[in-house]
Amino acid sequence: MAVVGSRRPTPYGEAVAERLAQDLAAAGVVVISGLALGIDGAAHRGALAGAGCTVAVMGTGVDLVYPRQHAELAAHIIGGGGALVSEFPDGTPPRRGHFPKRNWTMAALADAVVVVEAGEGSGALLTAEAGLALSKEVMAVPGSVFSPLSVGCHQLLRDGAGLVQNARDVLAVVGRSQEVLDDPLQPPSRLGLASPAGRDGLLRHLSDVLPLTAAELAHKLQLGFAETLARLTALELDGSVRRRGEGFLRVPPRE
Amino acid sequence: MVASVVSCLLRGLEGKLVEIQADASVGKNGFFLVGLADASVKEARERVRSAIRNSDLDFPKQRLTVNLAPAVLHKEGSGFDLPMAVAISLSLADRPPPERAAFLGELALDGSVRAVPGVLVAAQALAVQGVEDLFVPEANAAEAALVEGLVVRPCPDLASVMRHLKGQETLPAKARALAEPPEEAPVDDDLVEVHGQEAARRVLEVAAAGGHHLLLSGPPGAGKTMLARCLPGILPPLTPEEAMEVARISSILGELDGVPLRWTRPFRSPHHGVSTSGLVGGGAGVARPGEISRASGGVLFLDELAEFNPAALQALRQPLEQGRVTITRTAGTVTYPARFILVAATNPCPCGWAGDRLRRCRCSPGALNLYQRALSGPLLDRIDLRVNVTRPPLQALSSEPAGESSAVVRQRVVAARDRQLARQGCLNGALRPAGLRAHAPLGGVRALLERWASERGLTARGFHRSWRVARTLADLEEAPAIGERHVLEALGYRLDSADAA
Repeated sequence: MAVVGSRRPTPYGEAVAERLAQDLAAAGVVVISGLALGIDGAAHRGALAGAGCTVAVMGTGVDLVYPRQHAELAAHIIGGGGALVSEFPDGTPPRRGHFPKRNWTMAALADAVVVVEAGEGSGALLTAEAGLALSKEVMAVPGSVFSPLSVGCHQLLRDGAGLVQNARDVLAVVGRSQEVLDDPLQPPSRLGLASPAGRDGLLRHLSDVLPLTAAELAHKLQLGFAETLARLTALELDGSVRRRGEGFLRVPPRE
Repeated sequence: MVASVVSCLLRGLEGKLVEIQADASVGKNGFFLVGLADASVKEARERVRSAIRNSDLDFPKQRLTVNLAPAVLHKEGSGFDLPMAVAISLSLADRPPPERAAFLGELALDGSVRAVPGVLVAAQALAVQGVEDLFVPEANAAEAALVEGLVVRPCPDLASVMRHLKGQETLPAKARALAEPPEEAPVDDDLVEVHGQEAARRVLEVAAAGGHHLLLSGPPGAGKTMLARCLPGILPPLTPEEAMEVARISSILGELDGVPLRWTRPFRSPHHGVSTSGLVGGGAGVARPGEISRASGGVLFLDELAEFNPAALQALRQPLEQGRVTITRTAGTVTYPARFILVAATNPCPCGWAGDRLRRCRCSPGALNLYQRALSGPLLDRIDLRVNVTRPPLQALSSEPAGESSAVVRQRVVAARDRQLARQGCLNGALRPAGLRAHAPLGGVRALLERWASERGLTARGFHRSWRVARTLADLEEAPAIGERHVLEALGYRLDSADAA
């Protein structure tokens, strides 16, 4: 399964990619992505967190990790039983024209292409096109209608791509699961808002996808700012909350 | 006959007594200026000659020698014009120089006396040296009148000064001005105008109460500059001594503009293109005060911290550590005060939109990486508080503001500061680890801070930072001991807020 998307995603896109890859990997699916920053990296990380096997299709020679920040990630991929693959000979530096070719290879290797976040003209849309040309399943994750980074995904959905709300949606399309999908009575528990849990009542007001700042939370709950920040920090110490950019996210309890 | 009058040479915030001797004697026609005068003083010969002639006074037709003593001091500036002209005229008129009097001022060609910088500093130095009668340019009379024990005589032109010295008329003295703070401290930018921004409001109050330096992070248009501008207004009002110090710096820069004492705390926000000497002080000859000394007693705001020249930021370390800056240039070493609260502001990325919910960041990943690296470094070690500022929703801007005013916040700040000064003689922001152990015992909450340090990773500096801030939070609440909530809130303002993932 190829999981691809923007190199500069929103926190939402990154969270979705990570969680989706993790669940897919846990179900035994090999997650293919492009080792780029952003969604690609999140997909690889998620797959590794799901103790799964992940394959990075590179636009350079396999001996050159690009971007360099992902050298450690590449090592983890190998360590996790995955592979770095490339159609280019060793020593090939990153070149503009190579990455679209890499996207074709990715689509060719996968049974389905899932686009998590892609703005207009994003390289991830090329991978989706390649998937269509190669008769693979193409699916997309919806986002906010205000987000420029979801424009490409929404275009794909309008054109008939499969809707992805969770890993089961993907598994069903490739025939790996017989479960009923998109049950409107059961909101997807793993990508949406948290169910009430935890010691501090604050937790139930936090999302695990969309960060909320301490000031916003204080305003929402009519609490003092100082008190809210102290309580959030206590939750952070317990590991049930983490910071993301300017705000706080709930850390979903491990199952 | 030799005539000798007294003037003052400025060395930073110090003034040195200079004696100016004029002697017209037989010899080859000429005007000789000796006594280690630099180019700006040598030019005085032409001004003085014209000014004397245009004031209907005689100019010697023989050999004229003017000496600036002591000869070891390097003289610069135009303030010696008036004393030189007075010495020359007295020498020709065969009159004794006035006793315990000193002269400062630049001359125009028509003989009128023009303003010079540093009169306040010079007047204080001269008063200490026993001068009682001070002749200054009219435009500088107000600042000189702040000094106790001086009769200040504003001089319109050379002719009236000479008439006064010859006893033909009297130059009226300027009444002494007293340094008395106004009843209600003026506030330039009031917190009441800030909409929402609870996080930033709280952090400003904590920074003001404990004297902590702070970092504001947020997208363009979030109001970082407005927030920083509000900080002077919630600091305690200037004491007369502090106001004098602010005035002394303005005086040597020639920036008083006729208003000697201002009672608002300084707020300086240099552009990020500022040079190192512009920021910390410098220049040829004797170093001039830089932005950090202009900000002394108030707030130094560095917007777009990552864009500043790294060498300039590096030069801030000593002043941040010591509250003053010492600069050596060719003409000597000077020390200026530099006690300010540093407010640094930064965008989340070069384009400013990273992490925003609605707008897309246009920075390349490489540029982002570079930007983050520019923000690390030794300067951040001295910053205790960090807060993210978000853009307020538009409807909040058009609504009536609902927050507290600066005056209300200031009362709490003053009370918290008084407690700190009574306990340890300095603000919490200036406490080093030994001081923290002595004056801010952690007691039972040490375990909490240590648990954070071991589980979440906290450097030794980060540990002490949160400790200092926790003490200030306790002081704001009038709590004798640091409590758990203080430590937790302090940890919420830590700098290493990068994603844990």
